[in-house]
Amino acid sequence: MPDRLEMRRLEVRARDRMLLDGVHMSVEAGEILALVGESGSGKTLTARSLLGLPGPRPGIVSAELLIQVDGCCHRPYAGLGPAPWSSKLLDKRFKGIRGAVVGYLPQDARGGLDPLWTVQRLVAESITLGGTSGEPADWLRRAGFDHPAVVQPLYPHQLSGGMAQRVSLAMTMARGSRFIVADEPSTGLDPTVRNGILAEIRKLADDGVGVILITHDLRLVSRLARRVVILHQGKVLEEMAARELSSATSTRAREMLLATARISGGSR
Amino acid sequence: MNAGARFGAAVLAMVLAGWALASISSYDVIADVDPSRASLGPSLDHWLGTDHLGRDVAWRLLKASQAFMGPGLLACTVSSLPGVAAGALAGFFGGPIAYALRYLATVIATLPRFVLVLLAITIYGDNMWILGAAAGLAYAPTLAEAVYNRIDSLKRDEFVLAARAHGLGSWRILWYHLLWINCRYLVGRHALYLFSYTLLLETTLSYIGGFGVKEPTPSWGNMLAFEFGQRDGNPWGAWAPALAIWLTILACNLLANSLVEKRRA
Ligand SMILES: Nc1ncnc2c1ncn2[C@@H]1O[C@H](COP(=O)(O)OP(=O)(O)OP(=O)(O)O)[C@@H](O)[C@H]1O
Ligand SMILES: [Mg+2]
Repeated sequence: MPDRLEMRRLEVRARDRMLLDGVHMSVEAGEILALVGESGSGKTLTARSLLGLPGPRPGIVSAELLIQVDGCCHRPYAGLGPAPWSSKLLDKRFKGIRGAVVGYLPQDARGGLDPLWTVQRLVAESITLGGTSGEPADWLRRAGFDHPAVVQPLYPHQLSGGMAQRVSLAMTMARGSRFIVADEPSTGLDPTVRNGILAEIRKLADDGVGVILITHDLRLVSRLARRVVILHQGKVLEEMAARELSSATSTRAREMLLATARISGGSR
Repeated sequence: MNAGARFGAAVLAMVLAGWALASISSYDVIADVDPSRASLGPSLDHWLGTDHLGRDVAWRLLKASQAFMGPGLLACTVSSLPGVAAGALAGFFGGPIAYALRYLATVIATLPRFVLVLLAITIYGDNMWILGAAAGLAYAPTLAEAVYNRIDSLKRDEFVLAARAHGLGSWRILWYHLLWINCRYLVGRHALYLFSYTLLLETTLSYIGGFGVKEPTPSWGNMLAFEFGQRDGNPWGAWAPALAIWLTILACNLLANSLVEKRRA
């Protein structure tokens, strides 16, 4: 049975309203699953729930997460008792999963880097944590830096947005995660850099990493992903094969996709 | 490192070297009294001349570093260990310790610290180690609060969340990412200011007399008091300790001011 990650019945609440309601998805090793939806539909919340990270209070109130790697099965949310769950409890439950099994590329890549650490140290730490081999320069080169020596001594505030994305990608690759949740890794980058990053993600999937790719770019979805999950106001509107995207069945899905495409600059 | 910081570091290194030299030397402050060579000017035998009891000013200057060096370092330790620990734990984990700490800090902040320190030495005598410990304790809440505020604001940053997602444990995040990298300069600045504060306290008390270091044990404070205004004296007897106090405090401040995080230049 191949490694896979499956989320079911995900519910996230804020004080006064439901933010995610019954979200479900699953991804297998070596597969790219796209997660699309308009701004505010809950993509980032979903990504964080896959890692047990804190969000609004009371936060995650129900979730069934099953992560199967190397014949070993993790169910971090199982038997937690009544919600809300403290972040300390979730820290304990997700120990050994975060990073090692599921990696996260945050939406705000630069904000995700320790502002007082150099790129060199950041990547070196990931190598140590992941127990992977190689020098920081090797991983940076894989993440699309032609001249790693130039970026290694830089601090995050000295990086451009695209550079920060790539450093973040290098860290996640060096960490050796089996699944990667990438939150809009291609937004705001020039086409060359974007294609570089996407090619790298493609290669990761070919190497057997399961990828959940969050994006607004529908062209990208049909090019990279096999399946796509469409989120709308915290619910799964539709789940389908990526190549059927252009013939999305439900009219609401169509409308929403068109709107998303318009917002992200008519990329369709 | 800028020029000021380099200068400061050099001066402090010299003070430390002088202290080490004084600690291993067999110079005896009492045996050195020799009225036949009182108030001589600088010479090769006596680099800074002699005071009006014929004692070597240069040696006494070095020996006097023992009066503040130990207490100053003690103050830094006594202040930093509990200050950093309490501030970091309360800031990172929050909860009851955070409330207790804030309460304690407020209570101590309402007491004038100088009075607190004077109180300690009136009760426990003129032991400068007590002075150092008292100064350290009096300023521990200041440091705790600074560390608390820094950690408390940092822990909500996206990078802490990303570090968690990367599989880093709380302690590793707190120790490496928040304390060591983001707070070490803060702690360094505090320690340097506190050190110069302790030096100033010690020399002031010794200058005034009553409390503080008393003759014949040398302190830059009592050397100054002893030689200041001596008629036909060796001017270096007073100038040397005065300059030493001024330079050391300046050095601490210059070095402290250079300890600034390079976050967003
Ligand atoms: N801490 C919070 N407290 C309350 N509501 C929140 C919190 N975080 C997110 N939300 C709400 O949850 C919803 C989903 O947010 P989320 O960040 O997942 O959107 P998104 O799909 O990632 O959007 P974008 O494409 O703009 O990144 C939004 O309506 C937002 O207002
Ligand atoms: Mg988002």
